[in-house]
Amino acid sequence: MTDILLQVRQLEVVYHRVATAVQGVSLEVPKGSIVALVGTNGAGKTTTLRAISGFLPSEDAEITDGDITYGDRRINGQLPHQMARAGVILVPERDKVFGTLSVEDNLEFAARGGGEITLERVLGYFPLLTQRKSQLAGYLSGGEKQMLAIGMALLCRPTLLLIDELSLGLAPIVIKDLMALLHRISKELGLTVLLVEQNANAALAIADFGYVMEGGRVVFYGKASELISHPDVREFYLGGAAQSETKSYRDIKQYRRKRRWWG
Amino acid sequence: MEFAATIVILTCTYALLAAGTVILYKAGRVVNFAHGELAIVGGYVFYSAGLMSGGTSLWFPVAGAVVFSIIMGMFIYMAMMRRLVGEPFYVAILVTVGIGIVLKSAILVIWRAERLTIDVGVTPAIRMAGGATLSYMDIASVVLTVAFFAGLYLFFRFTRLGVQFRGTAENALLASQRGVDVNFVLSLAWVIAILAASLSGVLYGGRAFLSTESVTIGLAGLTAALVGGLDSLRGAVAGAFIVACAQYLTVRLVDPVLSEAVPFLLLVIVMSIRPWGLFGTQEELDRV
Amino acid sequence: MSRTGYNLRTNYLESNEVIRRPYQKVLVAMVLAVAVLLPAATSTFFVHLLNLCFLSAIGALGLMLLTGFCGQISLGHAAFLAVGAFTTVILTVHVGAPFVVVIPAAAVTGAVLGFIIGLPSLRFRGVYLAIITLAMHYTVIFLATSYQANFAKSASAGITIPDPSIGPLVIKGEYTWYYFSLVLLTLVTIWCVNLIRTRPGRAWMAIRDRDIAAEALGINLTRYKLMAFMVSSTLASVSGSLLAYYSNVVTVETYTIDLAVIYVAMIIVGGMGSILGALMGAIFMTLLPFGIDGLFSYLPREWRYGSTVFGVQVGAVGICIILFLLIEPKGLAEIWRRIETYFDRWPFRYRPLDTTRH
Ligand SMILES: Nc1ncnc2c1ncn2[C@@H]1O[C@H](COP(=O)(O)OP(=O)(O)OP(=O)(O)O)[C@@H](O)[C@H]1O
Ligand SMILES: [Mg+2]
Repeated sequence: MTDILLQVRQLEVVYHRVATAVQGVSLEVPKGSIVALVGTNGAGKTTTLRAISGFLPSEDAEITDGDITYGDRRINGQLPHQMARAGVILVPERDKVFGTLSVEDNLEFAARGGGEITLERVLGYFPLLTQRKSQLAGYLSGGEKQMLAIGMALLCRPTLLLIDELSLGLAPIVIKDLMALLHRISKELGLTVLLVEQNANAALAIADFGYVMEGGRVVFYGKASELISHPDVREFYLGGAAQSETKSYRDIKQYRRKRRWWG
Repeated sequence: MEFAATIVILTCTYALLAAGTVILYKAGRVVNFAHGELAIVGGYVFYSAGLMSGGTSLWFPVAGAVVFSIIMGMFIYMAMMRRLVGEPFYVAILVTVGIGIVLKSAILVIWRAERLTIDVGVTPAIRMAGGATLSYMDIASVVLTVAFFAGLYLFFRFTRLGVQFRGTAENALLASQRGVDVNFVLSLAWVIAILAASLSGVLYGGRAFLSTESVTIGLAGLTAALVGGLDSLRGAVAGAFIVACAQYLTVRLVDPVLSEAVPFLLLVIVMSIRPWGLFGTQEELDRV
Repeated sequence: MSRTGYNLRTNYLESNEVIRRPYQKVLVAMVLAVAVLLPAATSTFFVHLLNLCFLSAIGALGLMLLTGFCGQISLGHAAFLAVGAFTTVILTVHVGAPFVVVIPAAAVTGAVLGFIIGLPSLRFRGVYLAIITLAMHYTVIFLATSYQANFAKSASAGITIPDPSIGPLVIKGEYTWYYFSLVLLTLVTIWCVNLIRTRPGRAWMAIRDRDIAAEALGINLTRYKLMAFMVSSTLASVSGSLLAYYSNVVTVETYTIDLAVIYVAMIIVGGMGSILGALMGAIFMTLLPFGIDGLFSYLPREWRYGSTVFGVQVGAVGICIILFLLIEPKGLAEIWRRIETYFDRWPFRYRPLDTTRH
């Protein structure tokens, strides 16, 4: 059996002491694997990632139940910079680069000396950034920002890389390239990746395992290849129902029946 | 000539204060209403540390002021400002108003509201054309202020901590997620701001006097920051120069009593023409 | 009989009730009765303190309406008091106007100044507005200082004004003032309570909570912000005028920026957004320096330097502001509310539905 790097058990997160965003989520991320977390809008994917990478006190979010174990350490309620220093690096959904700093400063911001990930190596993965080195990051395009954000995250020497919506606002062709690149990087550097995606097809294509979330809970999980061919997952979450026939009442009933919460 | 010297030194005093205000504003979107009090208390600490050492060496009072800035900065941030994120905006302002008045009471209790002039033992030396004299103290003021701003520039531009500082000011959450201890950076902002204020207090105490009334330099500094733009260090210098000129001219030509109101009249003018200040960004208007 | 708890309001009529708990009527009656009988039982000095409390409470109510309900922060309250005081001086000393003319005149001057200061509030918010009110403070104080300097070369101790009289009745002495200010404060309080539970108060609270949303709801920002400033400055100016009459002497040195901060402290300590809080805060902050003075009288003589006592009095204001903001941001009024809730639920100990958390 493979080592488990990150284990989330029965996680419950409450915002502002009133809004429960995630309820009883459990997931496991084996060392060296890529795990995809997919689901509809508002399913609680971002919240799950944020709980792992830590909330600032000002966000008024609280882990009210469950455990998050990283390696052999329970990391509930750690501050973001403590998690970052422990090697858990999040590439957030929005505001992922410092817009008022130059590209170079953004990369330097994160760079911690030592380790095998150097600035040159990162620029090797994202050659585009080299040309834009002295430009303000705020003026980059969405895709360039995403590359910069990943570059920044890599320079923080991650062990576990958490990526929220890699494909947000990117052209399909770019998504495909970026996914392939991510796969390559993670294999070359031996990274473990937990990837949140809207574009489930693209994510499950490079992932080893997948979890499907809905309404703050995990509703399906399994090997990525199994999920991608699972008819229910395909129908409910990947949007590509195999048959194009019009749905009958029977299908809807089936939808009800098949939907269930795990954990 | 005399007036040029006065204006330059007044500009230095206000620019240091305004720089602190700008740094604090950028770092945590707080406007510090206790800056004048911090400056004057810093000056008093400098004076007292000098007395304790028998006035033999400059290092002792300097160390005193530095220690004061570090302790005050850490304390204000860690014990108070840190707890105020997410509260309505007026809470942070009123806390700084409270800090200001507590510091004022410290002047009354510890220093018995004594009127003091800091004398570092260098006499007026250089005679300028036009009959004005310029003391070494004045020259030191200018040199120190320039050095402070140059240091600040180099720090923000070229050091990693400086870059992290700027990043934290823009997006504290992301900075934290990249491994920066936001509390450390923001405490540092307070320490730097108070250090600048103390220096300004010492300069002011060397040229005029320290007393409970001199805390109004904080208001001049605040005005300078606003005139220049709350989020611009360049603006701090420009604003300080404008306030210094306006104040000097009013005292000379109109009425000394008005000099306290001058910064504000100036402010009202700037606010009605260009409310975000000379070098500021317009969006900031809606943020606080 | 069903009871959902007194803090939970389920319809408009309920939310307009001033007195919700049956025993509150008794409580109010008792407080008033005690207030009426109190002078008989205490010393003249204590009555004097209460007079100061009552008169400054009128000013505190004004600031509470502006800051606590309309959300416009002001550091210029001392200037409004000064305006009232100096209007009184000018009218009594130069014109010889009677009390019944002076008070409305002070109210009008206050309202006019409030209108002028309210104008920038239409364009600026938050910190910028606070700084503008500060600017206003210094400008008013400058004018007052020059007036006082020109008035008499020997007026450094202040300008004396005569005791006020309404018709044949001269308001003179602590006890007369006591009943006069008690009646006045009661009337002003009732007026304020009614103001905040009717249209202007609701508009102010909407502006305080989110001005843009309030405007989108059709609330006329210009009108209600200006109104808040005018009501606030009117009350402050009347309070300043009364305090001037009460102390018989006006000097510009009274109206420092520290005084403005003390008024801010009153509404913080009392509790933002509560009329009861304004009253409690005014009493607390007015008595505080005297309390400290009293404590110092127990200390050895060598500790009792004038500047030390004064310094501690000043510092206590700041410490109150900081501690209340950090620990009990809703002030004494919230503490009182908790006590009330405790008794409402009395035999049961479950936590009440928290309806006040923002
Ligand atoms: N800061 C917050 N305060 C209150 N509720 C929040 C906050 N952030 C998220 N939520 C709520 O938590 C739930 C889950 O949100 P989350 O952002 O985790 O969803 P998501 O799966 O990332 O959605 P998307 O795919 O749209 O990014 C939502 O119902 C949302 O309304
Ligand atoms: Mg999300």
